[in-house]
Amino acid sequence: MNLFKKGTDEQKSQADLLFEAQQRKQNLFRTQVALSWVFLLLFLLFLFSGLEIKSGEGVTSLSAWSFHIITQNNRQVREKIEKPLASFPFGLPNEGLDLKTIVVDGEFIKENIDFVAEGIIQTIRISILSILLAMLLALFAALGRLSSNPFIYALSTFYVSLIRGTPLYLQIFFFFLALPQLNIVLTGLWAGVLALGLNYGAYMSETFRAGLASVGKGQREAAIALGMTPAQTMRRIVLPQALRFAIPPMGNDFIAMTKDSALVSATGFVHELMWRAQKVGRAEFRNMEALVMAAIFYWIMTLLLTSLQSRLETRLSKGDR
Amino acid sequence: MVPIVKISNLDKFFGRLHVLKNISLEVEQRQVVCLIGRSGSGKSTLLRCINFLEEPSHGTIEVDGIKVDGGEKGAYHRQLVHDVRLKTGMVFQEFNLFPHKSVLENVIEGPVIVKGMDKKKAIELGEENLDRVGLLFKKDEYPNRLSGGQKQRVAIARALTMEPRVMLFDEPTSALDPELIGEVLNVMKKVATEGMTMIVVTHEMGFAREVADRVLVMGDGELIEDAKPADLFNNPQDPRTKALIDRYRTGEQ
Repeated sequence: MNLFKKGTDEQKSQADLLFEAQQRKQNLFRTQVALSWVFLLLFLLFLFSGLEIKSGEGVTSLSAWSFHIITQNNRQVREKIEKPLASFPFGLPNEGLDLKTIVVDGEFIKENIDFVAEGIIQTIRISILSILLAMLLALFAALGRLSSNPFIYALSTFYVSLIRGTPLYLQIFFFFLALPQLNIVLTGLWAGVLALGLNYGAYMSETFRAGLASVGKGQREAAIALGMTPAQTMRRIVLPQALRFAIPPMGNDFIAMTKDSALVSATGFVHELMWRAQKVGRAEFRNMEALVMAAIFYWIMTLLLTSLQSRLETRLSKGDR
Repeated sequence: MVPIVKISNLDKFFGRLHVLKNISLEVEQRQVVCLIGRSGSGKSTLLRCINFLEEPSHGTIEVDGIKVDGGEKGAYHRQLVHDVRLKTGMVFQEFNLFPHKSVLENVIEGPVIVKGMDKKKAIELGEENLDRVGLLFKKDEYPNRLSGGQKQRVAIARALTMEPRVMLFDEPTSALDPELIGEVLNVMKKVATEGMTMIVVTHEMGFAREVADRVLVMGDGELIEDAKPADLFNNPQDPRTKALIDRYRTGEQ
């Protein structure tokens, strides 16, 4: 950063020097945090590396475990195989030491990763459909909360209370399993979208309401004085400002929803990430590998969405007061 | 001469509080009228009744031939109120620029959205008015990059771009730092000399004395004095006016 153009140290003011010192301290802290992240990540990888350290009388050895496909009775099976890496002519006395990390079935992951990854598309589809529905509902609920009509106000608070007072899991099942009794049969996808949309709509209405309330009375008055109708005032002046206020928390909701979409797998008919992970994991009793795969996919999606959100925030903050 | 603003028997209640008491007033074209009075005397409310930001409880407001009865409801009333708002431009104490729009966008918003003016033409007109207030070079900035005085000048340009017949100013300099008041008053003076009819609620006695054709004094919801500035400042009739002017004189020294 070229905050301080040219000039030697002597020419810099006390304040500049102080500022620079602070900046250096902050940068150092940030670097340390980044390094710690790398360390934690490596440690996690190590935990799943399949390495084993054994130490006994006079010998210490390091070996790596992994799964390999072998043919047994004319059938291909995956077998855990130890591969010695190194050994040293010294060791711990008595009981010694045997440190073994988790062995991941790499062959299983190789075979199933494509199948699980395909679930991402469905997960994103559910999330986008649900967030669109949620935004629509949240907007109406928030406007309802600001309405002077008692029935509309009641409708909005009633909806929010009912939805927030019951579990999302129950709501998904209600739409999927209970509605058919009334001859309304929804596919798993639409039951999930409806439940997620209703649920997040209720939560997000609070965000929208706060956003609408953040737009000062003077803004409305200025618009009205220009001759704008209430609808024009809402659309052109109030909503854009309210949305800008509501975007960061809405981004959080969207990220949370992406993860909650996993609950839709419970219907058994929506082949998103979680469903696929469970399916392959159960079939071969490789739940750990399957769930870790899904977890990584969810995590990557969340990271991408978070960075997208912060970019959007920067763009929206133009003209901020 | 036909008055451009005519207020007849105006009453305004806030709940049980009688804020404006049977006010009648005529303002002629090209007149600059300053409304002064202690805070709480109802001067802002009177101004806001003219463009129906406050709905009058009783009485009529007539602006440029459009006559509206206060306290009415319904679509016809709303249409009349809308027509009156097109005839009046308003400048607020707190500027109320739209923070999500650039200076030029602020200025052309009204003509384009409310009047349906062609955008090109609106930009032309908007730039002309920004030039009038001396801020054309800031047209692409956002309001948060402007000083208070500049914001208020943009707000004046925004109101002017609607080509109103009457400009209403609601304490336009009260939210400004002292050193920024001058630039806004200068723009207002310029608009006045260009022949705009102006009704100005203000505490700036200097401005009232120098620019106004008439000064109205409000006290306790009534018009207590209506005089040429020279007469009013030299020879106030009502003791409340006297007190106001004395306080201003002490402040000046």
